[in-house]
Amino acid sequence: MQTTPAARRLPLGERLRRGMRSGRLTAIALLLPPALILFTLFVILPLTESGYYAFFDWNGYGQPTDYVGLRNFEQMMGHSAFQTAAGNTLKIVAVSLFLQMPLALLLALMIYRRTPTNALFRLVFFVPYILAEVAAGLIWSFVFDGNYGVTASIAQSLGVDSFFILANRDWAFVAVMTVIVWKYFGFHMMIYIAALQGVSEDLIEAARIEGARRVQIVRYVQVPMIKPAIVVSAFFAIIGALQVFDVIIPLTNGGPSNSTHTIVTYLYTFGLTRLRIGFGSAVGVVLFLVAVLVAVFYQRFAMKRAET
Amino acid sequence: MAEVRLKNVTKAFGSVTVIPDLDLMVPDGSFTVLVGPSGCGKSTLLRIIAGLEMPTAGTIEIGGEDVTDEEPSKRGISMVFQSYALYPHMTVKENIDFGLRLAKTPADERERRVAEAARILALTDYLDRKPGQLSGGQRQRVAIGRSIVRQPKVFLFDEPLSNLDAALRTQMRVELAQLHQSIDATMIYVTHDQVEAMTLADQIVVMTAGRIEQVGAPMDLYDRPQTVFVAGFIGSPKMNLLPGEAAGRPEVETVGIRPEHIRADTEAGDWPAVANVVENLGSDTIAYVSADKRGELTVRLPGHMRLRPGERLFLTPESENLHLFGENGQRVGPGT
Repeated sequence: MQTTPAARRLPLGERLRRGMRSGRLTAIALLLPPALILFTLFVILPLTESGYYAFFDWNGYGQPTDYVGLRNFEQMMGHSAFQTAAGNTLKIVAVSLFLQMPLALLLALMIYRRTPTNALFRLVFFVPYILAEVAAGLIWSFVFDGNYGVTASIAQSLGVDSFFILANRDWAFVAVMTVIVWKYFGFHMMIYIAALQGVSEDLIEAARIEGARRVQIVRYVQVPMIKPAIVVSAFFAIIGALQVFDVIIPLTNGGPSNSTHTIVTYLYTFGLTRLRIGFGSAVGVVLFLVAVLVAVFYQRFAMKRAET
Repeated sequence: MAEVRLKNVTKAFGSVTVIPDLDLMVPDGSFTVLVGPSGCGKSTLLRIIAGLEMPTAGTIEIGGEDVTDEEPSKRGISMVFQSYALYPHMTVKENIDFGLRLAKTPADERERRVAEAARILALTDYLDRKPGQLSGGQRQRVAIGRSIVRQPKVFLFDEPLSNLDAALRTQMRVELAQLHQSIDATMIYVTHDQVEAMTLADQIVVMTAGRIEQVGAPMDLYDRPQTVFVAGFIGSPKMNLLPGEAAGRPEVETVGIRPEHIRADTEAGDWPAVANVVENLGSDTIAYVSADKRGELTVRLPGHMRLRPGERLFLTPESENLHLFGENGQRVGPGT
């Protein structure tokens, strides 16, 4: 909300009096507390608590008493599985930004115009996003299954030995990233389609008259015009990548030998399932801080720049 | 510079034919205005000339060359859009020299052309601004500047002034006329505003339902409209159109008489009438009257003639200025 400079100069007493008269204070007094209470109960409190538990060795039962200082953090940083998980999370961020988003943009440019065929393609491309993550993970685990899955059939029809991609340390995470790209590109594509439909056709026609080829129209007109949408979609891509969890559990469960964990599946596997709530909280705190840093940095720089 | 020639151009969108078989010649260096009511196909015709729409049949020649299948950028045309179509993320300068950059024109040549266009259009001080920081009139000038630097053979304008307020529109109209005089290129201009058509054009093409009703010089159309439609469309206030019988000319279907060709008197005249609404414009007084047995008429009176609604008056049409139209709506008698 914007405040006019004149209103900002008024003394507090006068502002309150005016607020009372206009009913704004009453509205604030009535409407703000429920939101604040809910936010405190379900966001602030759990966050603070988890920050507190991070300094304890605690299994989740009873009161945390075994204060260990920064040991949980030290263990986490020194744990090779955590390092792999952090690296994997970064890989997902990179793949989301540099593979998934360009792919989504390319498809959006191909099908953004309103025609019946395009509507059909849009639906087809968007279906993976509607699908529940766990279901998607399961479906792909069948696809990649070297014994009975699609991979097995393909290998059989080609007459080669079947390939167990999800059991291969080098290739399992590539498979995971493929599923992630498949699952979420439709979401970004939809953002771009909506933005592209908002670009006036006159601008594109003017560029055609000026002699711009298709690629140049995209490069000089369409992409700059939808830049705010791209910035927002990149933000979703990064934050989403930091949170990837439910696709991986049915697909690989973090294996083979912890090679496909992300920070969240690492937290779940080494914190929750092993009843090391203190340790899990420490991972959660790190993840939270990274997410907040990304969000703040993004708000300050990327989004501001896109607006101007 | 070049003439534009359309031969047997037809345009259909699906099963709807918007332009059925049209021929048109736009002379080299002329300012031709396509005018007609909304949906008459004038913008479609302009877009066909630009190459933004393909004709269903027929050919388009620019400068004697068949460009029917040519890309818009290869036709030697430029176009100014109603929405200006400026790129908001580019500065004025970048907007103006966009086409030149795409064509890889040398930088010094680009500079020179942009500076020249900016000088003609009084944009020199605004070259580093973004379109969002300009007024409507300035934006329109940038759009025109973008056209000028390409040095096209033919300029196309698609209702370029309709987003401007009345005062600015008048000013830009004058500027466009001056521009045409100074660069002497062929210009084709689409509008639904017959005042723009009358003031700018040296050739007006009146269109309705995808057909050309009449082509001619503005005063030609004004003085000798060849159809009832042109008679009613050109001129403001509109020409009065009466059934022949009511106007005392039973041999024709319709009689047209312009508001300024009806004399009014409070004492005596041919047609007794009552004033309904009176508009005093200073230089003129426009009276909307009901004439006995003849219906509603518009009369242009001297500016200082005082007339009140409800007042009785007598009208006398100038018989030498009657326009007569036959059953098919075509002009008959003098001036055909």
